[in-house]
Amino acid sequence: MEYEAVKSIVVVLLLVVSFAVFGLRVYQLLWVNLQRGRPGPPYGRWIERIKGLVVYVGGQLRLFRFLAPGIAHFFVFWGFVILILTILQAIIEGLVAFADPGFVIPVIGEFGPLALLQDLFAALVGIAVVYALYLRLVVNPPRYEGSHRAQAVMVLSFILTIVVSLLVINGIRIELGEDPLADWRPVASAVGAVLSGLSDPTLEVVEEAAYWIHLIVVLAFLTELPGGKHFHVVTSIPAVFLRNLDPPGRLPPAPEFNGDVGVNAVEQFRRRQLLDFYTCTECGRCQDVCPAYASGSPLSPKLLIMSLRDNLIQRGVALRDGQQNGAVLESELVGDVITEEILWACVTCSACDQECPLFIEHVTPIVDMRRHLVMEGRMDGMLQEAMANLGRYGNSFGQSERARAKWTKGLPEKIKDARREPVDYLWFTGDYAAYSATLASATKTTAEVFRRADLDFGLLYEAERNAGNDVRRVGEEGLFEMLAEDNAAALNACEFRSIVTTDPHTYNALKNEYPAEINGGRPVLHYSELLDQLIADGRLRLGRELGYRVTYHDPCYLGRYNGVYDAPRRVIEAAGCTLVEMPRHGDRAMCCGAGGGRIWMEEGDTQQRPAAMRVEEAAGLEGVEMLIVSCPKDLVMFEDAAKSGGYADRLAVKDLIELVAEAL
Amino acid sequence: MNIVVPVKLVPDLVEELEIDDGGTALDTTWLRFILNEVDEHALEQALLLKESLSGTVSVISLDGEGVDDVLFASSAKGVDRLIKLTGVDYGVNVNNHAMARFYATTVRILEPDLVLVGVQAHNDLDGSLGPLLAEYVGMPYVGYVSGIAPINGRCRVRKEYPGGLIAEMDVEMPAVLGVQAAESPPRYVAISRIRQAMKTAAVDEQAAPDLDTTGGPMVDSMFKPETAERATMITGDEDEVAGRIVDLLRELGKA
Ligand code: SF4
Ligand code: SF4
Repeated sequence: MEYEAVKSIVVVLLLVVSFAVFGLRVYQLLWVNLQRGRPGPPYGRWIERIKGLVVYVGGQLRLFRFLAPGIAHFFVFWGFVILILTILQAIIEGLVAFADPGFVIPVIGEFGPLALLQDLFAALVGIAVVYALYLRLVVNPPRYEGSHRAQAVMVLSFILTIVVSLLVINGIRIELGEDPLADWRPVASAVGAVLSGLSDPTLEVVEEAAYWIHLIVVLAFLTELPGGKHFHVVTSIPAVFLRNLDPPGRLPPAPEFNGDVGVNAVEQFRRRQLLDFYTCTECGRCQDVCPAYASGSPLSPKLLIMSLRDNLIQRGVALRDGQQNGAVLESELVGDVITEEILWACVTCSACDQECPLFIEHVTPIVDMRRHLVMEGRMDGMLQEAMANLGRYGNSFGQSERARAKWTKGLPEKIKDARREPVDYLWFTGDYAAYSATLASATKTTAEVFRRADLDFGLLYEAERNAGNDVRRVGEEGLFEMLAEDNAAALNACEFRSIVTTDPHTYNALKNEYPAEINGGRPVLHYSELLDQLIADGRLRLGRELGYRVTYHDPCYLGRYNGVYDAPRRVIEAAGCTLVEMPRHGDRAMCCGAGGGRIWMEEGDTQQRPAAMRVEEAAGLEGVEMLIVSCPKDLVMFEDAAKSGGYADRLAVKDLIELVAEAL
Repeated sequence: MNIVVPVKLVPDLVEELEIDDGGTALDTTWLRFILNEVDEHALEQALLLKESLSGTVSVISLDGEGVDDVLFASSAKGVDRLIKLTGVDYGVNVNNHAMARFYATTVRILEPDLVLVGVQAHNDLDGSLGPLLAEYVGMPYVGYVSGIAPINGRCRVRKEYPGGLIAEMDVEMPAVLGVQAAESPPRYVAISRIRQAMKTAAVDEQAAPDLDTTGGPMVDSMFKPETAERATMITGDEDEVAGRIVDLLRELGKA
């Protein structure tokens, strides 16, 4: 038989085998397991989803948050897309070799500009891959800790081999004078020139060898994909397309199984969440920004997702093999696969969710699993006490609800009772502002500033309950519902035009998680937004230029969760202060460590608390004398950290409101 | 193993206490009643025993505000039977003698192997509930118990004495034990479980026998601790403060 005929047959065989293996693995590892998941709410909003694909898959927008690796990935991605045609060419060329050994795909294969693009991209992909290899093997940044290194290196070598072999094939064809588009392929021409010393027959042998290497590596890559970190090549498209479009501050409804809230088996997650687990590229961007990981806790958002993926696949295999028991099936998801320490370490700061280029959710699976722990009563003593207090008194301080407005004692004027008379602004103070002894003066100052602005405002007095934001994130869904119902009843009985709150956590719950009927479209404002408006309207005149050099900490539930970055900064400016940003600011701000209910839990073993790291960051800024916060919990956390870190004498921690009051 | 846990609700000290107009009792208008703290331990210990040995746990309570919440929470934790004695309220003047008599009637009918009570409560004016109940039902009593292990019809208990002394002793069952601490901290029960229990659990309401408070003390008058004279804060720098203290000491010395 002629070589060409053999070639065609072997190509057919290779294709059949590799696609069969790929298909089977996709079916077994992905499809079957996805079916086991729980259906989520309907998706909808298709236009927005298509836009998301264009921006986040096409434009790779989120990848550029890590600039150099982002650019490298951009070229690999687009190279991949553009070179699909050359791969197709290689495959068809092999298939029809017996009839037409010099086959070229009509039209597109004869189009010069496309040839140029392919040629350039082959080179760019090569360069990007060499950079990626350098990153993996030489730099090896800590974000890769725990990722599959050998797998990454193998696949990078695959890609490098694919583009090099392509350039070799094209180069030799140019050298042999077989390529009418030679002028459009400068890089391949250069490769050909390098090989020009070889005799024609040798070149032909090398070309054939390169062809086989090219094809075999392409197909090997294909079969290697499913279940590994490179599976994102396939799964990222549906994952990004079907991503959660609700506000990040609104947790999806709690899953319930036979009356038990929470998740304790990987199949109990929503299908969209399962898809996430497969999509993780192990890039470690989430781990890099995680305050829990940085403080030495056992939580890494990346390893969490990887463990969930591995568990999903292992359980899938065990179930497929008809096992009734065995280690994988008997191990509990919560406790064995993902330990309690890992779950409780999360401050729900959402830094990971926002950093992930593929919109993988970390906070939702963590909360789902916490819900299971709460159902079982598995939580530390302090947290238990806080929950019990919240259940009984509606606040975590364990004080009577009748003491909620105690801080108002000694104010020159009694604050209106919004339950008795209509007000413009209903001030929902939140627990910390109301009950914490250290914060009483800041809360009084807020009342004073509101009064100076001639604001018509009132309180709910003892009818206010903790809004439940962190209760929900602890996983105590029933308690959240109870608190929300109580607050809803109180709010529904009042007449007001907007709600203003001092606490970003409260703000998030009221704005995003309470049923829309309660607010009835009325705005919910954070006091920084209100101050900003009052200053802009001229109702609040800041007469004094304070002239301090300050820095500002973005609270997670104000910034990342609700996108309020500018209002507090404008207020700082209006007070005549110079704002110096910390290295991590805006949507990259690092959590103070109090969120997600962590403020109620025992410390645990950590190397350095997030608040301490944050204060250190602020104190490291040249000439900055003040750290401005806009969350009552931050005031508590950072004042504490500044004292214990020995920064108290040169870094004051102040609430935004104190700055405003001083500038009045 | 059948265990009965007669509980007691007590005024929540988180609220400000007021004396009523008569001057002999607390004003109940603003009081909030919560489960006596050590009763949580008695309940937990009962559940632990049930889980390790099987059997049933029944909780008995008088009526009153907050009682249903306590009962449903107990059910959510795993209590099998909820009994509420109606017609008497923690809010009215029920002393421990009367309470023990109420509970004795029910306990006799239930014929338990063990009766676990919280060893004390902050409003025990006439002794604690456990020994009184033991007397009325004719069972032995051991108090300040922090560990219970039943062995062949008897019960080995750990009893804590003041000063850290610990004794182990065997008690003939049935017995009344005054629990000081359960072997593990009282469990947390999720609100959604309590809400489920509200829908599904049945409260067995039984009319309480007539109130009989004999044996308890007569309260002549009740008053709040008198606040000592208010302290004055001395402000100023170190020298001023020191000077002021010296002056004060001199004045006090003269007086
Ligand atoms: S939410 Fe914050 S603490 Fe939790 S895993 Fe993500 S980055 Fe870490
Ligand atoms: S979850 Fe996202 S950010 Fe984290 S490692 Fe996976 S792909 Fe990277």
